[in-house]
Amino acid sequence: MFNYTFQWKQALARLPQMLDGALVTMQIAILSMVIGIGLAIVLTMFRLSGVRVLSAVSKTWVEVARNTPALFQIYMAHFGLGSFGIHLSPFASILLGITFNNAGYLTENFRGALKAIPDTQARAARSLGFGQGGAFRYVVLPQMLRIAFLPMTNQMVWAILMTSLGVTVGMNSDLYGVTQDLNALTFRTFELFALAALIFYVITKVITLGARLIAARLFRY
Amino acid sequence: MTKTTRALGLLATTAALAAPAHADKLDDIISSGTLRCAVVLDFPPMGMRDDSNNPIGFDVDYCNDLAAALGVTAEIVETPFPERIPALMSGRVDVGVASTSDTLERAKTVGMSIPYYAFENAVVGNEGVEMSTWEDMKGKTVGATAGTYEAIWLEKQINEWGEGTFRPYQTQADVFLALSQGQLDATVSTVEVANANVASGNFPGIKIIDKAPMVPDYVALFTMREEYGLINYLNLFVNQQVRTGRYAELYAKWVGEGEPADLTVPGIYR
Repeated sequence: MFNYTFQWKQALARLPQMLDGALVTMQIAILSMVIGIGLAIVLTMFRLSGVRVLSAVSKTWVEVARNTPALFQIYMAHFGLGSFGIHLSPFASILLGITFNNAGYLTENFRGALKAIPDTQARAARSLGFGQGGAFRYVVLPQMLRIAFLPMTNQMVWAILMTSLGVTVGMNSDLYGVTQDLNALTFRTFELFALAALIFYVITKVITLGARLIAARLFRY
Repeated sequence: MTKTTRALGLLATTAALAAPAHADKLDDIISSGTLRCAVVLDFPPMGMRDDSNNPIGFDVDYCNDLAAALGVTAEIVETPFPERIPALMSGRVDVGVASTSDTLERAKTVGMSIPYYAFENAVVGNEGVEMSTWEDMKGKTVGATAGTYEAIWLEKQINEWGEGTFRPYQTQADVFLALSQGQLDATVSTVEVANANVASGNFPGIKIIDKAPMVPDYVALFTMREEYGLINYLNLFVNQQVRTGRYAELYAKWVGEGEPADLTVPGIYR
Protein backbone atom coordinates (compact mmCIF):
# COMPACT_ATOMS: atom_id res chain seq x y z
CA MET A 1 0.00 0.00 0.00
CA PHE A 2 1.39 3.37 -0.96
CA ASN A 3 0.84 5.76 1.88
CA TYR A 4 2.58 9.08 1.47
CA THR A 5 1.61 12.72 1.55
CA PHE A 6 3.61 14.83 -0.83
CA GLN A 7 5.16 18.05 0.40
CA TRP A 8 6.35 19.62 -2.83
CA LYS A 9 6.87 23.02 -1.26
CA GLN A 10 9.65 21.64 0.94
CA ALA A 11 11.46 20.28 -2.10
CA LEU A 12 10.88 23.38 -4.22
CA ALA A 13 12.37 25.56 -1.48
CA ARG A 14 15.64 23.67 -2.05
CA LEU A 15 15.58 24.20 -5.83
CA PRO A 16 18.28 26.94 -5.84
CA GLN A 17 20.70 24.63 -4.01
CA MET A 18 19.92 21.86 -6.48
CA LEU A 19 20.47 24.14 -9.47
CA ASP A 20 23.87 25.09 -8.05
CA GLY A 21 24.54 21.37 -7.90
CA ALA A 22 23.44 21.02 -11.53
CA LEU A 23 26.10 23.58 -12.52
CA VAL A 24 28.80 21.48 -10.86
CA THR A 25 27.43 18.41 -12.64
CA MET A 26 27.67 20.21 -15.99
CA GLN A 27 31.16 21.38 -15.17
CA ILE A 28 32.34 17.82 -14.51
CA ALA A 29 30.60 16.46 -17.60
CA ILE A 30 31.97 19.13 -19.94
CA LEU A 31 35.53 18.91 -18.58
CA SER A 32 35.47 15.13 -18.77
CA MET A 33 34.26 15.31 -22.39
CA VAL A 34 36.85 17.87 -23.52
CA ILE A 35 39.71 15.93 -21.94
CA GLY A 36 38.14 12.63 -22.99
CA ILE A 37 37.94 13.64 -26.66
CA GLY A 38 41.56 14.82 -26.60
CA LEU A 39 42.67 11.54 -25.04
CA ALA A 40 40.54 9.50 -27.43
CA ILE A 41 42.15 11.18 -30.46
CA VAL A 42 45.59 10.36 -29.06
CA LEU A 43 44.54 6.78 -28.26
CA THR A 44 43.10 6.36 -31.77
CA MET A 45 46.38 7.52 -33.26
CA PHE A 46 48.23 5.12 -30.94
CA ARG A 47 46.08 2.32 -32.24
CA LEU A 48 46.77 3.22 -35.86
CA SER A 49 50.45 4.02 -35.34
CA GLY A 50 51.56 0.45 -35.92
CA VAL A 51 53.88 0.72 -32.89
CA ARG A 52 53.07 -2.35 -30.84
CA VAL A 53 53.49 -0.78 -27.37
CA LEU A 54 51.32 2.22 -28.18
CA SER A 55 48.69 0.04 -29.80
CA ALA A 56 48.64 -2.19 -26.69
CA VAL A 57 48.18 0.84 -24.41
CA SER A 58 45.22 1.96 -26.46
CA LYS A 59 43.69 -1.52 -26.62
CA THR A 60 44.04 -2.11 -22.87
CA TRP A 61 42.50 1.26 -22.05
CA VAL A 62 39.49 0.58 -24.26
CA GLU A 63 39.05 -2.95 -22.91
CA VAL A 64 39.11 -1.87 -19.25
CA ALA A 65 37.01 1.26 -19.75
CA ARG A 66 34.29 -0.54 -21.68
CA ASN A 67 34.16 -3.79 -19.76
CA THR A 68 34.17 -2.67 -16.13
CA PRO A 69 31.44 -0.73 -14.33
CA ALA A 70 31.80 3.06 -14.25
CA LEU A 71 31.19 2.88 -10.50
CA PHE A 72 34.27 0.67 -10.19
CA GLN A 73 36.37 3.10 -12.26
CA ILE A 74 35.39 6.03 -10.05
CA TYR A 75 35.83 4.09 -6.82
CA MET A 76 39.29 2.97 -7.95
CA ALA A 77 40.28 6.54 -8.76
CA HIS A 78 39.57 7.48 -5.14
CA PHE A 79 40.15 4.48 -2.88
CA GLY A 80 42.30 2.44 -5.28
CA LEU A 81 44.86 5.18 -5.77
CA GLY A 82 44.34 6.19 -2.13
CA SER A 83 45.81 2.91 -0.92
CA PHE A 84 49.02 3.84 -2.75
CA GLY A 85 49.08 7.20 -0.99
CA ILE A 86 47.80 9.14 -4.00
CA HIS A 87 44.97 11.27 -2.68
CA LEU A 88 42.52 12.79 -5.12
CA SER A 89 39.73 15.09 -4.01
CA PRO A 90 36.21 13.83 -4.71
CA PHE A 91 36.00 16.26 -7.64
CA ALA A 92 39.27 15.01 -9.13
CA SER A 93 38.28 11.38 -8.52
CA ILE A 94 34.97 11.63 -10.29
CA LEU A 95 36.53 13.66 -13.10
CA LEU A 96 39.28 11.08 -13.55
CA GLY A 97 36.82 8.17 -13.44
CA ILE A 98 34.42 9.65 -15.98
CA THR A 99 37.21 10.90 -18.25
CA PHE A 100 38.76 7.43 -18.26
CA ASN A 101 35.40 5.97 -19.21
CA ASN A 102 34.74 8.63 -21.86
CA ALA A 103 38.14 8.21 -23.48
CA GLY A 104 37.63 4.44 -23.75
CA TYR A 105 34.23 4.65 -25.38
CA LEU A 106 35.16 7.56 -27.65
CA THR A 107 38.29 5.79 -28.90
CA GLU A 108 36.10 2.93 -30.02
CA ASN A 109 33.70 5.39 -31.68
CA PHE A 110 36.54 7.12 -33.46
CA ARG A 111 37.95 3.84 -34.71
CA GLY A 112 34.56 2.96 -36.15
CA ALA A 113 34.28 6.40 -37.74
CA LEU A 114 37.74 6.08 -39.30
CA LYS A 115 36.74 2.82 -40.92
CA ALA A 116 33.92 4.67 -42.63
CA ILE A 117 36.34 7.09 -44.29
CA PRO A 118 37.71 5.70 -47.56
CA ASP A 119 41.51 5.37 -47.82
CA THR A 120 41.30 7.43 -50.97
CA GLN A 121 40.69 10.53 -48.85
CA ALA A 122 44.11 10.29 -47.27
CA ARG A 123 45.70 9.37 -50.58
CA ALA A 124 44.06 12.31 -52.34
CA ALA A 125 45.33 14.62 -49.60
CA ARG A 126 48.84 13.21 -49.96
CA SER A 127 48.69 13.79 -53.72
CA LEU A 128 47.82 17.41 -53.03
CA GLY A 129 51.05 17.73 -51.10
CA PHE A 130 50.00 17.13 -47.48
CA GLY A 131 52.36 15.13 -45.32
CA GLN A 132 51.06 12.09 -43.41
CA GLY A 133 50.33 14.17 -40.31
CA GLY A 134 48.78 16.96 -42.33
CA ALA A 135 46.54 14.57 -44.23
CA PHE A 136 45.29 13.14 -40.93
CA ARG A 137 44.83 16.48 -39.25
CA TYR A 138 43.22 18.45 -42.07
CA VAL A 139 41.37 15.80 -44.06
CA VAL A 140 40.73 12.61 -42.10
CA LEU A 141 40.24 13.97 -38.56
CA PRO A 142 37.49 16.48 -39.42
CA GLN A 143 35.54 13.81 -41.27
CA MET A 144 36.04 11.37 -38.41
CA LEU A 145 34.76 13.87 -35.83
CA ARG A 146 31.78 14.58 -38.04
CA ILE A 147 30.82 10.90 -38.26
CA ALA A 148 31.45 10.39 -34.56
CA PHE A 149 29.46 13.47 -33.58
CA LEU A 150 26.22 11.81 -32.55
CA PRO A 151 27.87 9.00 -30.59
CA MET A 152 29.80 11.78 -28.84
CA THR A 153 26.52 13.35 -27.83
CA ASN A 154 25.45 10.05 -26.32
CA GLN A 155 28.67 9.91 -24.35
CA MET A 156 28.06 13.46 -23.09
CA VAL A 157 24.64 12.45 -21.80
CA TRP A 158 26.17 9.38 -20.22
CA ALA A 159 28.86 11.57 -18.60
CA ILE A 160 26.19 13.77 -17.04
CA LEU A 161 24.36 10.76 -15.65
CA MET A 162 27.59 9.20 -14.40
CA THR A 163 28.26 12.21 -12.16
CA SER A 164 25.64 10.74 -9.83
CA LEU A 165 28.20 8.06 -8.94
CA GLY A 166 30.29 10.76 -7.24
CA VAL A 167 28.48 10.13 -3.94
CA THR A 168 30.52 6.95 -3.52
CA VAL A 169 33.72 9.00 -3.30
CA GLY A 170 32.38 11.69 -0.99
CA MET A 171 31.21 14.17 -3.63
CA ASN A 172 28.37 16.33 -2.33
CA SER A 173 28.40 19.49 -4.44
CA ASP A 174 27.01 18.01 -7.66
CA LEU A 175 23.30 17.62 -8.34
CA TYR A 176 23.01 14.09 -7.01
CA GLY A 177 25.21 14.82 -3.99
CA VAL A 178 23.25 17.93 -3.08
CA THR A 179 20.00 16.00 -3.39
CA GLN A 180 21.25 13.23 -1.15
CA ASP A 181 22.42 15.68 1.51
CA LEU A 182 19.01 17.35 1.49
CA ASN A 183 17.39 13.94 1.74
CA ALA A 184 19.41 13.12 4.85
CA LEU A 185 18.28 16.38 6.37
CA THR A 186 14.58 16.19 5.61
CA PHE A 187 13.81 12.58 4.60
CA ARG A 188 11.62 14.00 1.79
CA THR A 189 13.10 11.38 -0.48
CA PHE A 190 10.52 11.12 -3.21
CA GLU A 191 9.97 14.83 -3.81
CA LEU A 192 13.68 15.68 -3.78
CA PHE A 193 14.72 12.86 -6.08
CA ALA A 194 11.80 13.49 -8.43
CA LEU A 195 12.93 17.09 -8.71
CA ALA A 196 16.53 16.00 -9.31
CA ALA A 197 15.37 13.54 -11.96
CA LEU A 198 13.48 16.32 -13.69
CA ILE A 199 16.57 18.55 -13.70
CA PHE A 200 18.69 15.70 -15.09
CA TYR A 201 16.05 15.11 -17.76
CA VAL A 202 15.93 18.76 -18.80
CA ILE A 203 19.72 19.03 -19.00
CA THR A 204 20.12 15.92 -21.14
CA LYS A 205 17.16 16.94 -23.33
CA VAL A 206 18.68 20.37 -23.96
CA ILE A 207 21.99 18.74 -24.86
CA THR A 208 20.50 16.22 -27.28
CA LEU A 209 18.35 18.89 -28.94
CA GLY A 210 21.31 21.26 -29.13
CA ALA A 211 23.45 18.53 -30.62
CA ARG A 212 20.80 17.81 -33.24
CA LEU A 213 20.78 21.47 -34.27
CA ILE A 214 24.56 21.54 -34.52
CA ALA A 215 24.50 18.25 -36.41
CA ALA A 216 22.07 19.70 -38.94
CA ARG A 217 24.62 22.40 -39.69
CA LEU A 218 27.65 20.12 -39.61
CA PHE A 219 26.22 17.53 -41.94
CA ARG A 220 25.22 20.04 -44.62
CA TYR A 221 27.62 19.62 -47.50
CA MET B 1 -40.56 7.41 5.38
CA THR B 2 -41.88 4.11 4.15
CA LYS B 3 -41.32 0.87 5.91
CA THR B 4 -39.08 -0.33 3.11
CA THR B 5 -36.71 2.62 3.26
CA ARG B 6 -36.60 2.39 7.03
CA ALA B 7 -35.77 -1.30 6.80
CA LEU B 8 -33.12 -0.61 4.18
CA GLY B 9 -31.64 2.12 6.33
CA LEU B 10 -31.49 -0.20 9.31
CA LEU B 11 -29.88 -2.86 7.16
CA ALA B 12 -27.24 -0.42 5.91
CA THR B 13 -26.45 0.70 9.47
CA THR B 14 -26.09 -2.88 10.66
CA ALA B 15 -23.85 -3.69 7.70
CA ALA B 16 -21.67 -0.68 8.47
CA LEU B 17 -21.33 -1.70 12.12
CA ALA B 18 -20.62 -5.29 11.26
CA ALA B 19 -17.93 -4.42 8.70
CA PRO B 20 -14.48 -5.19 10.06
CA ALA B 21 -12.67 -2.18 11.53
CA HIS B 22 -9.81 -0.93 9.40
CA ALA B 23 -6.71 -2.82 10.50
CA ASP B 24 -3.72 -0.65 11.29
CA LYS B 25 -0.04 -1.44 10.89
CA LEU B 26 0.15 -2.99 14.35
CA ASP B 27 -2.61 -5.44 13.43
CA ASP B 28 -1.01 -6.06 10.04
CA ILE B 29 2.29 -7.03 11.67
CA ILE B 30 0.65 -9.32 14.21
CA SER B 31 -1.49 -11.05 11.61
CA SER B 32 1.33 -11.37 9.10
CA GLY B 33 3.47 -13.09 11.72
CA THR B 34 6.58 -11.18 10.63
CA LEU B 35 8.15 -7.95 11.80
CA ARG B 36 10.44 -6.46 9.15
CA CYS B 37 13.05 -4.14 10.65
CA ALA B 38 15.33 -1.79 8.76
CA VAL B 39 18.75 -2.24 10.38
CA VAL B 40 22.07 -0.70 9.35
CA LEU B 41 24.67 -3.46 9.31
CA ASP B 42 27.86 -1.47 8.83
CA PHE B 43 27.50 0.35 12.11
CA PRO B 44 29.21 -1.74 14.80
CA PRO B 45 28.36 -2.50 17.53
CA MET B 46 24.75 -1.49 16.75
CA GLY B 47 24.53 -3.50 13.54
CA MET B 48 27.12 -5.73 11.86
CA ARG B 49 27.69 -9.26 10.60
CA ASP B 50 29.42 -12.12 12.37
CA ASP B 51 31.99 -14.46 10.81
CA SER B 52 29.28 -16.54 9.15
CA ASN B 53 27.65 -13.38 7.77
CA ASN B 54 24.65 -13.36 10.10
CA PRO B 55 23.36 -9.98 11.27
CA ILE B 56 24.28 -9.26 14.89
CA GLY B 57 24.45 -6.23 17.16
CA PHE B 58 22.46 -4.07 19.53
CA ASP B 59 19.87 -3.05 16.93
CA VAL B 60 19.50 -6.63 15.70
CA ASP B 61 18.79 -7.84 19.25
CA TYR B 62 16.46 -4.91 19.80
CA CYS B 63 14.45 -5.89 16.73
CA ASN B 64 14.35 -9.50 17.89
CA ASP B 65 13.08 -8.37 21.31
CA LEU B 66 10.38 -6.27 19.69
CA ALA B 67 9.31 -9.17 17.50
CA ALA B 68 9.20 -11.47 20.51
CA ALA B 69 7.01 -8.96 22.37
CA LEU B 70 4.66 -8.86 19.40
CA GLY B 71 4.68 -12.64 19.15
CA VAL B 72 6.02 -12.67 15.60
CA THR B 73 9.24 -13.55 13.79
CA ALA B 74 11.80 -10.84 13.15
CA GLU B 75 13.16 -10.26 9.68
CA ILE B 76 16.28 -8.08 9.52
CA VAL B 77 16.32 -6.03 6.32
CA GLU B 78 19.79 -4.61 5.75
CA THR B 79 19.49 -0.92 4.95
CA PRO B 80 22.35 1.52 4.41
CA PHE B 81 21.92 4.83 6.25
CA PRO B 82 20.61 6.87 3.31
CA GLU B 83 18.02 4.20 2.44
CA ARG B 84 16.29 3.81 5.79
CA ILE B 85 13.36 6.07 5.01
CA PRO B 86 12.88 5.01 1.38
CA ALA B 87 12.73 1.43 2.67
CA LEU B 88 9.93 2.40 5.04
CA MET B 89 8.03 4.54 2.53
CA SER B 90 8.14 1.87 -0.13
CA GLY B 91 6.76 -0.71 2.30
CA ARG B 92 9.84 -2.93 2.44
CA VAL B 93 10.02 -2.65 6.22
CA ASP B 94 7.55 -2.06 9.05
CA VAL B 95 9.82 -0.40 11.59
CA GLY B 96 13.26 1.16 11.59
CA VAL B 97 15.61 -0.07 14.31
CA ALA B 98 18.47 1.78 12.72
CA SER B 99 20.08 4.17 15.21
CA THR B 100 18.06 7.00 13.70
CA SER B 101 18.44 10.45 15.26
CA ASP B 102 15.10 11.96 16.18
CA THR B 103 15.48 15.36 14.50
CA LEU B 104 12.45 17.63 14.18
CA GLU B 105 13.09 17.95 10.45
CA ARG B 106 12.80 14.18 10.00
CA ALA B 107 9.79 13.94 12.30
CA LYS B 108 7.88 15.90 9.67
CA THR B 109 8.16 12.82 7.48
CA VAL B 110 8.20 9.79 9.78
CA GLY B 111 6.80 8.97 13.21
CA MET B 112 9.47 8.68 15.92
CA SER B 113 9.21 6.72 19.18
CA ILE B 114 10.72 7.98 22.43
CA PRO B 115 14.55 7.58 22.38
CA TYR B 116 15.79 4.00 22.77
CA TYR B 117 19.50 4.80 22.84
CA ALA B 118 21.77 7.83 23.13
CA PHE B 119 25.16 8.21 21.52
CA GLU B 120 28.05 10.38 22.48
CA ASN B 121 30.49 11.21 19.73
CA ALA B 122 34.24 11.07 19.42
CA VAL B 123 36.70 12.72 17.09
CA VAL B 124 38.88 10.11 15.40
CA GLY B 125 41.99 11.24 13.54
CA ASN B 126 44.71 9.91 11.29
CA GLU B 127 47.87 9.32 13.32
CA GLY B 128 49.89 11.34 10.83
CA VAL B 129 47.96 14.49 11.60
CA GLU B 130 48.81 16.70 14.57
CA MET B 131 45.59 16.97 16.59
CA SER B 132 44.80 17.07 20.29
CA THR B 133 41.31 18.57 20.66
CA TRP B 134 38.17 18.59 18.60
CA GLU B 135 38.87 22.20 17.63
CA ASP B 136 41.95 21.05 15.73
CA MET B 137 39.54 19.84 13.05
CA LYS B 138 39.36 23.48 11.97
CA GLY B 139 40.78 23.80 8.48
CA LYS B 140 41.22 20.05 8.05
CA THR B 141 39.66 17.65 5.58
CA VAL B 142 37.02 15.80 7.53
CA GLY B 143 34.26 13.36 6.64
CA ALA B 144 31.44 11.24 7.99
CA THR B 145 28.73 8.89 6.78
CA ALA B 146 26.24 10.73 4.57
CA GLY B 147 22.92 11.31 6.23
CA THR B 148 23.98 10.76 9.84
CA TYR B 149 23.65 13.09 12.82
CA GLU B 150 27.46 13.39 12.98
CA ALA B 151 27.66 14.29 9.28
CA ILE B 152 25.03 16.99 9.63
CA TRP B 153 26.77 18.41 12.72
CA LEU B 154 30.23 18.26 11.16
CA GLU B 155 29.21 19.93 7.92
CA LYS B 156 27.54 22.72 9.90
CA GLN B 157 30.67 23.13 12.01
CA ILE B 158 32.87 23.41 8.90
CA ASN B 159 30.53 26.04 7.49
CA GLU B 160 30.67 28.01 10.74
CA TRP B 161 34.47 27.88 10.82
CA GLY B 162 34.51 28.91 7.19
CA GLU B 163 37.54 26.75 6.48
CA GLY B 164 38.25 23.09 5.91
CA THR B 165 36.54 20.56 3.71
CA PHE B 166 33.71 18.17 4.44
CA ARG B 167 33.20 14.87 2.59
CA PRO B 168 30.21 12.60 3.09
CA TYR B 169 30.80 8.93 2.23
CA GLN B 170 28.17 6.29 1.61
CA THR B 171 29.10 3.89 4.38
CA GLN B 172 30.84 4.01 7.73
CA ALA B 173 33.40 1.57 6.33
CA ASP B 174 34.27 3.99 3.49
CA VAL B 175 34.76 6.81 6.01
CA PHE B 176 37.22 4.78 8.06
CA LEU B 177 38.93 3.49 4.91
CA ALA B 178 39.43 7.08 3.75
CA LEU B 179 40.66 8.06 7.22
CA SER B 180 43.05 5.13 7.38
CA GLN B 181 44.42 5.93 3.89
CA GLY B 182 44.92 9.55 4.92
CA GLN B 183 42.36 10.92 2.48
CA LEU B 184 40.63 12.35 5.55
CA ASP B 185 42.39 13.98 8.48
CA ALA B 186 39.59 13.29 10.92
CA THR B 187 36.05 12.07 11.34
CA VAL B 188 33.41 12.26 14.01
CA SER B 189 31.67 9.04 14.89
CA THR B 190 29.86 7.64 17.87
CA VAL B 191 32.16 6.59 20.70
CA GLU B 192 30.93 3.01 20.26
CA VAL B 193 31.82 2.90 16.56
CA ALA B 194 35.13 4.67 17.12
CA ASN B 195 36.20 2.18 19.82
CA ALA B 196 35.08 -0.81 17.77
CA ASN B 197 36.91 0.37 14.66
CA VAL B 198 40.14 1.32 16.43
CA ALA B 199 40.12 -2.02 18.28
CA SER B 200 39.30 -4.07 15.18
CA GLY B 201 42.67 -3.36 13.55
CA ASN B 202 40.94 -3.19 10.17
CA PHE B 203 41.88 0.45 9.86
CA PRO B 204 45.53 0.96 10.74
CA GLY B 205 46.85 4.43 11.54
CA ILE B 206 43.81 5.91 13.27
CA LYS B 207 43.38 7.10 16.86
CA ILE B 208 40.70 8.59 19.08
CA ILE B 209 41.45 12.23 19.78
CA ASP B 210 38.70 13.83 21.82
CA LYS B 211 35.00 13.80 22.57
CA ALA B 212 32.94 15.89 20.17
CA PRO B 213 31.00 18.69 21.91
CA MET B 214 27.65 17.54 20.60
CA VAL B 215 24.31 17.23 22.31
CA PRO B 216 23.93 13.46 22.89
CA ASP B 217 22.54 11.92 19.76
CA TYR B 218 19.21 10.47 20.85
CA VAL B 219 18.02 7.80 18.49
CA ALA B 220 14.49 6.56 18.08
CA LEU B 221 12.58 3.74 16.49
CA PHE B 222 10.50 4.96 13.59
CA THR B 223 7.54 3.94 11.49
CA MET B 224 4.90 5.65 9.33
CA ARG B 225 3.90 9.00 10.79
CA GLU B 226 0.20 8.20 11.04
CA GLU B 227 0.54 4.77 12.68
CA TYR B 228 -0.34 5.94 16.18
CA GLY B 229 -1.21 2.47 17.38
CA LEU B 230 2.22 1.17 16.46
CA ILE B 231 4.02 4.28 17.73
CA ASN B 232 2.27 3.91 21.11
CA TYR B 233 3.32 0.28 21.20
CA LEU B 234 6.92 1.23 20.38
CA ASN B 235 6.97 3.83 23.17
CA LEU B 236 5.75 1.33 25.72
CA PHE B 237 8.21 -1.24 24.41
CA VAL B 238 11.17 1.16 24.86
CA ASN B 239 9.93 1.96 28.35
CA GLN B 240 9.69 -1.76 29.21
CA GLN B 241 13.15 -2.51 27.82
CA VAL B 242 14.59 -0.01 30.31
CA ARG B 243 12.51 -0.93 33.33
CA THR B 244 13.08 -4.69 32.91
CA GLY B 245 16.82 -4.15 32.74
CA ARG B 246 17.06 -5.41 29.17
CA TYR B 247 18.52 -2.09 27.98
CA ALA B 248 21.39 -2.39 30.47
CA GLU B 249 21.84 -6.04 29.51
CA LEU B 250 22.10 -5.26 25.79
CA TYR B 251 24.44 -2.37 26.56
CA ALA B 252 26.75 -4.66 28.52
CA LYS B 253 26.61 -7.28 25.76
CA TRP B 254 27.40 -5.01 22.81
CA VAL B 255 28.95 -1.80 24.08
CA GLY B 256 30.80 -2.91 27.17
CA GLU B 257 31.33 -1.74 30.71
CA GLY B 258 29.75 1.32 32.19
CA GLU B 259 26.31 2.72 32.45
CA PRO B 260 24.10 3.02 29.37
CA ALA B 261 23.26 6.63 28.60
CA ASP B 262 20.27 8.20 30.34
CA LEU B 263 17.35 8.38 27.94
CA THR B 264 15.61 11.25 29.69
CA VAL B 265 16.26 14.95 29.58
CA PRO B 266 15.96 16.52 33.05
CA GLY B 267 13.05 18.87 33.46
CA ILE B 268 11.33 17.74 30.29
CA TYR B 269 8.25 15.57 30.07
CA ARG B 270 7.73 13.29 27.15
